[in-house]
Amino acid sequence: MYTAAFEYHRASSLEEAATMLSQIGEGAKILAGGQSLIPLMKLRLAAPSHLIDIGFTSGGSYIREEGRLLRLGALTSHAEIELSPVAQRIAIVHDCAAGIADVQVRNRGTIGGSLAEADPSGDWATALLALSAEVHLISPAGERTLALDDFIKDAYTTALRSNEVIAEIRVHVPDAGSGGAYICLKRAAPVYATASVAVELKLEGNVCRQPAIVLGCVGLRPIRVDGAEAALRGREIDDVALEAAGEAVRVAADPESDMRGSAEYKRTVAGALVKRALRAALGRARGEIVETSHLYA
Amino acid sequence: MVKTETEEKNWVGRPVPRKEENRLLRGRGKFADDIKLRNMLYLGFVRSSYAHARIVAVDTSRAQARKGVVSVLTGPEIASETQPFLEIGPEPCAKIKDYPLAVSKIRYQGEPVAAVLAESPALAVDAVELVDVQYEPLDPVVDVEEALKDESVLHEEAATNRVWRGVFEYGNVDQAFAEAAYVVDIDRLHFHRFSSTPLETNVILAQWDGKDERIYYWCNNSFPSFAIQFLAAHLGVPIDRIRVETSDIGGSFGIKITSYPQMAVCALASRKAGGRAVKWVETRSEHMLASAHGNERTFRRTRVALDRQGVITALVSEHLDDCGAYPRYEPLGCVIWSQVFPGVYRFRNARIDFTQAVTNKCPVGPNRGYSRMQHLWFLERVVDICAHQLAIPADEMRLRNYIRREEFPYTTPNGCVYDSGNYAKMLDVAKALIGWEEWKKKQASAREEGRLIGIGIGTTLDSGTNNFGQSQIVNPAAPFSGNSQGANCKLDIYGEVVVAVGSCPQGQGHETTAAQVVADVLNIHPDTVTVRTGFDTERNVHTGFSGTYASQFAVSGLSAVHGAAQKLKHEMTRLAAFALQASSDDLEFGSGSTGPEIRSRSTGASINYWGLSNIVNVNSAVLPPELHDITLNCRYVWRAPFKVPDKEKKYGSLTLTYASQLHIAVVEIEPETFIPRILDYAAVDDCGTRINPPIVEGQVYGATAHGIGAALMERCVYDSLGNMLTSTFSDYTPITAMNMPNVKYGHIETPSPHSYSGAKGMGEGGAAPLHAISAALQDALSARGIVIADSFNNGDSLFRALAEQKSGQGTKPVKVERRS
Repeated sequence: MYTAAFEYHRASSLEEAATMLSQIGEGAKILAGGQSLIPLMKLRLAAPSHLIDIGFTSGGSYIREEGRLLRLGALTSHAEIELSPVAQRIAIVHDCAAGIADVQVRNRGTIGGSLAEADPSGDWATALLALSAEVHLISPAGERTLALDDFIKDAYTTALRSNEVIAEIRVHVPDAGSGGAYICLKRAAPVYATASVAVELKLEGNVCRQPAIVLGCVGLRPIRVDGAEAALRGREIDDVALEAAGEAVRVAADPESDMRGSAEYKRTVAGALVKRALRAALGRARGEIVETSHLYA
Repeated sequence: MVKTETEEKNWVGRPVPRKEENRLLRGRGKFADDIKLRNMLYLGFVRSSYAHARIVAVDTSRAQARKGVVSVLTGPEIASETQPFLEIGPEPCAKIKDYPLAVSKIRYQGEPVAAVLAESPALAVDAVELVDVQYEPLDPVVDVEEALKDESVLHEEAATNRVWRGVFEYGNVDQAFAEAAYVVDIDRLHFHRFSSTPLETNVILAQWDGKDERIYYWCNNSFPSFAIQFLAAHLGVPIDRIRVETSDIGGSFGIKITSYPQMAVCALASRKAGGRAVKWVETRSEHMLASAHGNERTFRRTRVALDRQGVITALVSEHLDDCGAYPRYEPLGCVIWSQVFPGVYRFRNARIDFTQAVTNKCPVGPNRGYSRMQHLWFLERVVDICAHQLAIPADEMRLRNYIRREEFPYTTPNGCVYDSGNYAKMLDVAKALIGWEEWKKKQASAREEGRLIGIGIGTTLDSGTNNFGQSQIVNPAAPFSGNSQGANCKLDIYGEVVVAVGSCPQGQGHETTAAQVVADVLNIHPDTVTVRTGFDTERNVHTGFSGTYASQFAVSGLSAVHGAAQKLKHEMTRLAAFALQASSDDLEFGSGSTGPEIRSRSTGASINYWGLSNIVNVNSAVLPPELHDITLNCRYVWRAPFKVPDKEKKYGSLTLTYASQLHIAVVEIEPETFIPRILDYAAVDDCGTRINPPIVEGQVYGATAHGIGAALMERCVYDSLGNMLTSTFSDYTPITAMNMPNVKYGHIETPSPHSYSGAKGMGEGGAAPLHAISAALQDALSARGIVIADSFNNGDSLFRALAEQKSGQGTKPVKVERRS
């Protein structure tokens, strides 16, 4: 397992990394936690000629709550988020961080790296799309902030320009009375999920407001399921509504058959997962402590 | 029970902590990749991306031009310098030309086409990408039944994809069917392809030393005495020129037996590089793609005759084994399954038509449970399916069909002798462990709620110490029979007790168990016995069967150690009688103030081991002529008491010991996701007298994990073009501790009359979890009319089976004819 030859650059700051990106141009790749990029390079499925390591910059890893905004430094590791009492207050964020791969990957991998890769099977994009989240980007030309939905373009494709790096992820803290959950089905901890579902909703009394339902691993990018949201919006979530949401999810999922499962099975699993996630989200919205876990087949 | 004094004295049977733990748990083990030689080169294989193709051209010029690349080897070059590897089978198999690099054709994805040698491992991988190979794709054949149509032939020189065919028929099948009360037809059963994925991949360090024309190997091959026989013939060198050393090995499970083709390439590359050492460390992807997989087997047109009570009286079936692109260790698997011909059952009439074929997939190799587990799974499926069809409870069905305790030693229809066993008692123990009656109640109430819970029994055998004479059943001209193992036990110059064996353990604890055996013979503490394991040709203890495979060390290895220790004890007794001027009857072995010694009971005089060795080794002028034959360096070869089997009738004793396992799994198919969840699990083992109970228990857990992994998680998948879809651990998901249920372990001991200690070989485990889990799923789904016909099941496959059944598309794979 040896990568192809590459030039290694160590950036002292994200700004410097962005400058290096624009100077080197084509063939340069940012190295953050390296939990996807390094294996791809070792399998020689990726062979960037330059790696710009941002792992030695300081100040890129933080979790801060400022007003109604949760600010996560792009270099914050999954483990740091998992263990953060601040981040834990948004259940779906904690679910996502705590369930990524295994301990080794969570210790090294970063939230910014995960979003920048835009792997259709990645966790963060799916989970955060159920919230109101933005990505803050910097480049030598300046900075800009994009809604996450606009940032993720397609499989492995983002709105990042060739001289931009992700600096921060901003998540709007959901209103009181909200609850969410993120659940995957995986064949084993370190492998990509067969299907994943993110749910965020708000309860007014027993009535569901602002439901957001996003599917991962079952399309080229995370899929927001309007049909399922419509089945829940403005009503009490009973078994009929759950079934309707599950059915809408089954229809909206657009998976491919592969080693993780047949397309029809993935659809069925997504439908099953959304019901579990909705039950957890409902409990949490009511202020209950609901432990969730990914399903491991 | 109060232990008698003699029992107390024995080290064998006690939970002696493993001697090798001190080294291995501290990270001080020495594995093949830890060895580095001066000026060492690194080898990388250029591998085919096609499964079946003609090689049009191989252009190595870009790679050769690369700085740091020393040379590139190709198939035609190797073919011009070597003989094709020996084929074990007769024609058409014998016509196959198997070279370690493809010469003119590619026969599986990942087959090596060329090998590059470079100054660093990274440069070797770079250079691999610079070798340009032009292919002309051919029709790939990935299914054994398709292969047997011979529409696209892999080995043109053999003119057929069929490797071997033989009919194994015993008793009076026709009469049994004529008299049957029930006849059950099972159209198709399929045992899937998987591998045991050892933690350490194949590693070879080779040096062809021009100065003494010798070939040195430091590697982790797990059956080196077999490998050198293939290598010597292939390379055209006397076998004594080949030295193989193994050290610590990180698992093999049989998969590392067939690394000899890569060993050949490394030696030839070293010779081409003027004798510089060459190292190859297989990557995980290479291992998954192109080392060896377990055998895949399809069982067609099975017919079972049963009497009114559901006792199986006869069985006929066609078995189609898929051995991948090259036979290599095959077609031995075409007979090895017949070591357990009737499994644990009493039926006497059977006809099995066994065929093996090549396909465009990775060659198979012996894989934990090799060839027997496929057959045992088949028999367990047959028993369960018949039980469900006749509405006989699974436990009752087994009790009616098991070989009975009083029938041991039991001669099977094909002449194998099952040494001992008590399957009914194992069933009792396992039922008690799992709480059978409780689970039956829970299952019934869960069913009312619409939940799918199944309880499955898997009864299996782990046959150990095989008679290599069975090779003559597949090839009457094969020059192998019997089985033997060598050991050496000596007092070294300063009196240390040193034992050397020809095994190459990969976690089986041979250092510990060998020391226990010697400690009992000499009445000393096992800590005072040094055991040299790991194969070393120059230690000169090995026989042609030495290695670690096929569940046999407890019998063959330890019998050799025991024999060598007895020989040494005899010499020591004679020597001590002279030194102490005592009669040998007066001597006792034990330990005194200066360590191990021999004492005269009457005078109290003693001599320690240093004193004894001193007389023989460095003070020999005092030795009287009648003791000159004493060397205190005793080699002993243990030979299994086998005869050559009857090749025509395919009849004879094929294995010496039969350990047995009985597992019970309780499995629920989770609603909505269809994921099979193990709710409870019991594993009962009987390997006769246990030499070291914790080591036995560890083997049971390991084999259970491999079996559960195979049943629910692990499979090698190819698409219709022969692309392997599971070449990384992201796709091939090996079982980890996280996926393991809490296993309730139990054991019984039926000592073997075939081994000196009563022990039976064990370790492979007979793939009991595959049987038990298939049975449990069958039990969960039988009410829905679904038959578990594949050894691999997961949420996806169960979802599809239930969906097909619901939509009425499901075929009726089982038919029952009721004649009464």
